Amino acid sequence: MLTFIGLGLYDERSITVEGREALRSADRVFAEFYTSRLVGADVDDLEAAHGVDVEVRDREGVERDPEPILTAAETGDAAFLTAGDTMISTTHADLRLRAESRGIDTRVIHGVTAQSAASSLTGLQNYRFGKAVTLPFPYAHGGDDVPSSVRETIEANRERGLHTVVYLDIKVGTGPSGPDPDHEEYMTADYAAGLLADGWRDELAVVVARAGSPDPVVAADRLSALAEREFGDPLHTLVIPGDLHHVEAEALVGLAGAPESILEE
Amino acid sequence: MGRRKKIVQECERLMDNPEHIRNIAIAAHVDHGKTTLSDNLLAGAGMISQDTAGEQLAMDTKEDEQERGITIDAANVSMTHEYEDTNHLINLIDTPGHVDFGGDVTRAMRAVDGALVVVDAVEGAMPQTETVLRQALREGVKPTLFINKVDRLISELQEGPQEMQERLLSVIADVNELIRGMAENMDDIPEDWTVSVEDGTVGFGSALYKWGVSMPSMQRTGMDFGDIMELEQNDKRDELHERTPLSTVVLDMVCEHFPNPVDAQPRRVPRIWRGDPDSTLAEGMQLVDEDGEVVFMVTDISMDPHAGEIATGRVFSGTLEKGQELYVSGTAGKNRIQSVGLFMGSEREEVEHVPAGNIASVTGLRDAIAGSTVSSVEMTPFESIEHISEPVITKSVEAQSMDDLPKLIETLQQVAKEDPTIQIEINEDTGEHLISGQGELHLEVITQRIRDNQGIPVITGEPIVVFREQPQEASREVEGQSPNRHNKFYLTVEPMAQDIVDAIQLGEVSMDMPELERREALQEAGMDKDTSQNVEDIHRTNILIDDTKGIQHLNETMELVLEGLQEALDDGPLAAEPVQGSLFRLHDAKLHEDTIHRGPAQVIPAVRDAVHRALIDGEVRLLEPIQDVRIDVPSEHMGAASGEIQGRRGRVDDMYQEGDLMVVEGIAPVEEMIGFSSDIRSATEGRASWNTENAGFRVLVDNLQREKIMEIRERKGMKLELPSSIDYI
Ligand SMILES: Nc1nc2c(ncn2[C@@H]2O[C@H](COP(=O)(O)OP(=O)(O)OP(=O)(O)O)[C@@H](O)[C@H]2O)c(=O)[nH]1
Ligand SMILES: [Mg+2]
Repeated sequence: MLTFIGLGLYDERSITVEGREALRSADRVFAEFYTSRLVGADVDDLEAAHGVDVEVRDREGVERDPEPILTAAETGDAAFLTAGDTMISTTHADLRLRAESRGIDTRVIHGVTAQSAASSLTGLQNYRFGKAVTLPFPYAHGGDDVPSSVRETIEANRERGLHTVVYLDIKVGTGPSGPDPDHEEYMTADYAAGLLADGWRDELAVVVARAGSPDPVVAADRLSALAEREFGDPLHTLVIPGDLHHVEAEALVGLAGAPESILEE
Repeated sequence: MGRRKKIVQECERLMDNPEHIRNIAIAAHVDHGKTTLSDNLLAGAGMISQDTAGEQLAMDTKEDEQERGITIDAANVSMTHEYEDTNHLINLIDTPGHVDFGGDVTRAMRAVDGALVVVDAVEGAMPQTETVLRQALREGVKPTLFINKVDRLISELQEGPQEMQERLLSVIADVNELIRGMAENMDDIPEDWTVSVEDGTVGFGSALYKWGVSMPSMQRTGMDFGDIMELEQNDKRDELHERTPLSTVVLDMVCEHFPNPVDAQPRRVPRIWRGDPDSTLAEGMQLVDEDGEVVFMVTDISMDPHAGEIATGRVFSGTLEKGQELYVSGTAGKNRIQSVGLFMGSEREEVEHVPAGNIASVTGLRDAIAGSTVSSVEMTPFESIEHISEPVITKSVEAQSMDDLPKLIETLQQVAKEDPTIQIEINEDTGEHLISGQGELHLEVITQRIRDNQGIPVITGEPIVVFREQPQEASREVEGQSPNRHNKFYLTVEPMAQDIVDAIQLGEVSMDMPELERREALQEAGMDKDTSQNVEDIHRTNILIDDTKGIQHLNETMELVLEGLQEALDDGPLAAEPVQGSLFRLHDAKLHEDTIHRGPAQVIPAVRDAVHRALIDGEVRLLEPIQDVRIDVPSEHMGAASGEIQGRRGRVDDMYQEGDLMVVEGIAPVEEMIGFSSDIRSATEGRASWNTENAGFRVLVDNLQREKIMEIRERKGMKLELPSSIDYI
């Protein structure tokens, strides 16, 4: 049996009760943190809180060499953990398919993801979001600023009046000059706003910082203004609103400190 | 004032007058007498004493050159010569003849307008004679001929007038046949560039005994061949030298028949520079305008114990002066000229300025390498100077003492800067660096220089040859998948037509040139129009064609695709040797919606995988470097000589008589030719002379493929197991 368990947004307590039970009863526990991680807890905290040993796999160990995970699931109960939800953004559907094709039973236990936090903390309606994008560090995509596909996606969403969630790049274990086990870098919302402000300085955007933690921050302003501010510890996400429904506009002013002028627009 | 000082002043005066300047190179097969002749010219011009000329080899200044009796580095010298009552400035480059140092010849040709080709009367036109002629014509440099060592025909071989005439005429005919063959496809070469005695573009003589003769000299001195033979036979060489001195014959020929820069540059510039022909820069170069923008092409980098690093080259326009801040092509920022000079014999003389049309040597250009374009305004650089022969042989060097490590790396980097036909691979982790070069001698000379000149004790490995990998047939379409399985690339490969490979190697096609021009050049080399329009990359001698249409996000992923392609081509699937001569087509790609999931960690391995799969499906095989071999040997040793070729997995293609010697011609793998010199010497009792010339790469025979691949993999510490898909080897 292979159980995919989403750990949720912030620390060892963000997991669902159902997830916690499955985790604690597993024979072996695997995890990957190369695309996202819990900022409020490290592996030791997880192990201590749940009384399990966690085997952390790097990208190679999931994508190219999933054999140990599959074998463990064939012979016992294996759990596979990721931050957020295991099937959103970095989808592990591939791993699930491989397991199924070997006759291994699989199960998914959901976690709360940044996608849902972006909607629930900002008051922007889930019905009105378009395609999401990730904004990579310039060095990570071989170009030198914002990849054109990122701008195109935001443009296309806005043309249809839709909001865009912009995930911000995380680099763990690889730096600008290749693999580096000590490297840990999280793109901040002010940095991202700075990149996007080039060309879109007066556009409205909403920062969501530390969703799921005890002290989340939600801030709406022009991109150029956001670029000048600081939002503290990671993780950060950015939302670029499309057309605003009047309740959405009120929420941005009331909950995120957006300039009142947006109420008239 | 010393004589030398006077000459320097006279040179400075003449520099400003391009009509009276000749820039020339002396080039020939090894040992045909270039340096002895250059010495003669220097002595004739009063730069060195007449008595020591030839014996001293003033131009072979380096210790190892004297020791080995060959020229290793091209040497520059300026001199003056009075012809038809006008004083001329002659900037001359003596080039090496040994094939391993051919890169120096290629570079020298860029700096000059005329090439004095020397041929040994006894040996006749030899393989390197052909090579240097080709190097000259490709640069638009006009040839003339000097047949040397005629004294040996008379005194040693005791040839009669009839026999001698026939022999000399046949040398001329051979040389002309070569020129005609090469000039055929060069429509920018206006006149017939074959040489003839009647026109005065052929001279004869003896560099060793310092006499010479040509049609004009016979008319001037009244001395004909009969008189000369008589004096030479009676050992009256001094009288011969007095009455018809070699330097006058040759320098007159230089002044009369070589173009001056004003005549040469309008023809040469379009051949070597692809910038806008209607620009003011172009005009400055065409007119050899000393007041124009500075345009200086560096053809040589050398180390001077006093002045430091010296860049020598041709000033095409403007005037070089101390203190100028100049752009260096391929680097950001400017370099400041610290001093400007000319070469006088072995020494460099600093002067105030060097104007357009001259060969100058400057210090201060720290970013320049041999081949850099240096200019006062940013400009399209000159065509790169391509030496067609790639390095084929490699040696490891390691510092004996750890303390020398940084100095060794610095020295190796300097070596690569001075000689672009060398490739250096620095490995800071193991400290075992690799030098690749043109041949055994090339590497030997370099490692010896590191030891002796830099005083760094080094340990060197055995020479090993460099291999290549190439597909043998067109592959089917293969798929390469990214580790996360969200991205897929579909590729085919086919062996590329040789004409296109040649065009890339000659620098006629590159990614640096404007797209339209590249398309045309590719079509000229035989590529069809559609294909030529979709060239996405040229790496080594391989091309990637993008045959996809409208795939979303492919554009911004292309950089990574190319990275994966290049990695895969640098380390081929068989033995991680470079891949050559393959044409890839990208037919389709499936990409993840989000950039993060199609980043470097995904795309590079996917493409690398696809490239290797395609190569394997196209039956990629190992190629080894081969050499043309020519052995001249007395007939009783002919069997032994051809046996030496055949015993080395070689092939004898031709055997024929030339004079009293037999010539054996064939090809053999470079790897087997290591150690050839001592073997052939003992097989023929030292009676053979031989030449080798790199002749590209050839597929290694089937029954050695696996063994050789494993040998290389073992040396490189790779897995000793080939992918199971390689089932054809
Ligand atoms: N008999 C005779 N020997 C000559 C003549 N010219 C040169 N030699 C000899 O030929 C040998 C080679 O002469 P170099 O001047 O070093 O030849 P090179 O072409 O400069 O040689 P590389 O630079 O090594 O290619 C020397 O031993 C010379 O003394 C000549 O006119 N007659
Ligand atoms: Mg020489």
